[in-house]
Amino acid sequence: MSLSSALSIAQSALLATSKQTSVVSRNVADASNPDYTRRIAVVTSTAPGARSVEIQRTANDLLFRQNLSALSAWSGQSALYNGMDQLDLSVNGVDNASSPSTAIANLQKALQLYATTPSNQNLGTSVIDAAKQVVNSLNSGTKAIQDFRTQADSQIATAVDDLNSLLGQFQDANTAVISGTRSGTDVSDALDQRDALLKKISEYVPVSTFTRGDNDMVITTKDGSTLFETVPRSVTFAPSAGYSAGTPGNTVYIDNVPVSAGTGDNATADGKLAGLLKLRDGVASTMQSQLDEIARGLVTAFAETAPSQPNAAGLFTWSGAPAIPAAGTLVDGLAGSIGVNAAFDPSASGNPALLRDGGANGAAYVVNTGGASYSDLLISYGNKLDQPMAFDTSAGITVSSGVSDYAANAIGWFEGVRQQASTNADSKQALAARTAEALSNDTGVNVDQEMSLLLDLEHTYQASAHMMKTVSDMLDALMSAVG
Amino acid sequence: MKATAVSSAAISNALRYQQAKMQADLIKATKESQTGTVADVGLALGSRTTQAVTFQRDLDRLNGIVDSNALVTARLTSTQDSLGQIAGAAQSFLSALTSGVSGDSSTSILQTAGASALQQMTGILNTSVNGEYLFAGTNTDVKPIDDFNAAGSPAKAAFDAAFSSYFGFAQTDPAAANITGAQMDDFITTKVEPQFLGAGWQANWSSATDDQITSRISLNETTQTSVSANEQGIRKLAMAAAMVSSLLTGSISEAAQNAVVSRAQTLVGDAIGGVTQVRAETGLAQQRVSDASDRMKTQVDLFEKHIIDLEGVDPAEAATRVADLTQHIETSFALTARLQQLSLLNYLT
Repeated sequence: MSLSSALSIAQSALLATSKQTSVVSRNVADASNPDYTRRIAVVTSTAPGARSVEIQRTANDLLFRQNLSALSAWSGQSALYNGMDQLDLSVNGVDNASSPSTAIANLQKALQLYATTPSNQNLGTSVIDAAKQVVNSLNSGTKAIQDFRTQADSQIATAVDDLNSLLGQFQDANTAVISGTRSGTDVSDALDQRDALLKKISEYVPVSTFTRGDNDMVITTKDGSTLFETVPRSVTFAPSAGYSAGTPGNTVYIDNVPVSAGTGDNATADGKLAGLLKLRDGVASTMQSQLDEIARGLVTAFAETAPSQPNAAGLFTWSGAPAIPAAGTLVDGLAGSIGVNAAFDPSASGNPALLRDGGANGAAYVVNTGGASYSDLLISYGNKLDQPMAFDTSAGITVSSGVSDYAANAIGWFEGVRQQASTNADSKQALAARTAEALSNDTGVNVDQEMSLLLDLEHTYQASAHMMKTVSDMLDALMSAVG
Repeated sequence: MKATAVSSAAISNALRYQQAKMQADLIKATKESQTGTVADVGLALGSRTTQAVTFQRDLDRLNGIVDSNALVTARLTSTQDSLGQIAGAAQSFLSALTSGVSGDSSTSILQTAGASALQQMTGILNTSVNGEYLFAGTNTDVKPIDDFNAAGSPAKAAFDAAFSSYFGFAQTDPAAANITGAQMDDFITTKVEPQFLGAGWQANWSSATDDQITSRISLNETTQTSVSANEQGIRKLAMAAAMVSSLLTGSISEAAQNAVVSRAQTLVGDAIGGVTQVRAETGLAQQRVSDASDRMKTQVDLFEKHIIDLEGVDPAEAATRVADLTQHIETSFALTARLQQLSLLNYLT
């Protein structure tokens, strides 16, 4: 060993230390970046005394994957729950105030009052007003649901665009990683960027990944369709301009494979796309069917009957009037087209007393020949609202009940799904937060730790510098002795 | 190599997440302690929301029926009252007839008694409550009983026509003095009776319907809540009073008059029995309505209790929760501030 070799060792130590310091400073700078993975400067001895610094990422694949799957579950669940909240407010109103159930209850009350004093025309008019409220609730509910579906549809379109653009960015990041890996340069930044993009992608669709040679990553969805393989696969979707009851929505295709809204109940969704699809085609559609069934039940309950005459639409009428919709069969969009029969409506020069006497569909249907206080028909209408009737099971409610109970059951069905979705959203949010925390703990930066590391480096640097000075002093002493 | 397993971002994020969660909870707890019910019924009950909605709806309906029962009770009370007055009128008519038979009073007094009984009865039967004629059956917008004493009364005309077609002369004709008791009896049975107890009643006297008003008095119970002027008791009273007032004119023979009076006595006796029967039925209906109302009020209380069981929160518990959460959030703020200071940087000079 010679003094010059001591000098060169001290030199290389200084070099290594400064490189380490630069890593520490980078770590500190990105301490609050959630997508940043902590770098470690690993010092390895190559030749005796010579050291090289290698930069490693403290990635944790397992935690990262967990976080990805929690992210997509949370994103899907929260899209689902937020959508349901919106549906709840726009269809049922605050505390169910504008729900068909409330409107039907008011109609029953008005009917009861009218039946007690059938000679009072004002009470008859108030029944018609209550009936208009029912119609209004059903019509505006239908409109709100279909608007919601259209809105969900455009959100899906936006999500698909976002996904395509993310996949495009992913390609750039992936290319950077591959070329960096091949040329042996530090690819940590490119890897960070790629992982950040992967997190964003997994918010839209649940993904699984595998890495091939040269760090080349392939992304597939949980269903198995390829999202990215060397090049991004196209995600396609044709948005619809508007929706009406019973219209199915278009499907999203990833690499020409249709995306399913996921199995399981109405309250579970994995990824934002699945959540939106489930809202558009599941929850909102079922709700619409239930409104349609309520409307059908009302038309049927208030139908005018007469011996040897077909039943004919009474107080509530629809596009197929005077016929009554077939029993137990869903009629799509009935809740949107139901109306109050003009024959009863005083504001359309109708006569509310027809409700008491019958005969809106001609003299054959007149029931009351007695007088102004005939209440039997009114009471029978009230009874029919409570009498069990057949409802289409495809609307999601199988309990046999009368129209007014059906309307209450519809609220129960929806709140059941909403509660489930809320619970799922809460637990998925907690899971996402927890996995993000675990991941951050494992791969993130602790500033205090970096600082203490910096202290160490400072000492090393001082020592090396001191070493150089000492060698220099010794060399100086040698020179002066020689000279 | 990692000495610690905690990152700076995780520390502050965890605090932030907890704070956001607690603040959201605080909003809910505040609302609950203010309203006494859960913040979001749908989320709290899920599928059981149906129950809450149904209870609330039935509660409203029950209250509605209790209110409408008050109307029904008013009608029944007036009916009962009116029937009592009719019975009273019949009773005093009967005592007038009885004294007439014993020869204490003159025929003109009897005739006046008959006329006034008829007038009273007509007046009472034509009572209206809330713009509805009480005794009209369901035909409540038409006056149920024709006024026998008014000019142009079809009932009076029909009666007079029946008399002159049977005997060939009017009641006031002197020839009426020759009518025998048997003839008068036959006239009453064959001509007068059909006018009151047969089809003639609806044609000339009454525009009431036999059908009575039906009312729903509880969620699933209906009952008849009116009395029609077509009841047999009322018809018989009308027949007796009409006979006495238009046959005891003074021109008719005493034998015939006696036949009329004794027939009238029997009829009024029957009428009192009939009206009492109707009063009893009305009383039963009143009883049913008031029972139903009482029952429904109990149900209302029960339903309210159920609704509170379903949707209610313990206000004390909600208030405690608010206090707890406030304290937690304060602690969390203090911790955040402390943790911000807790940095190695502060110790590196």
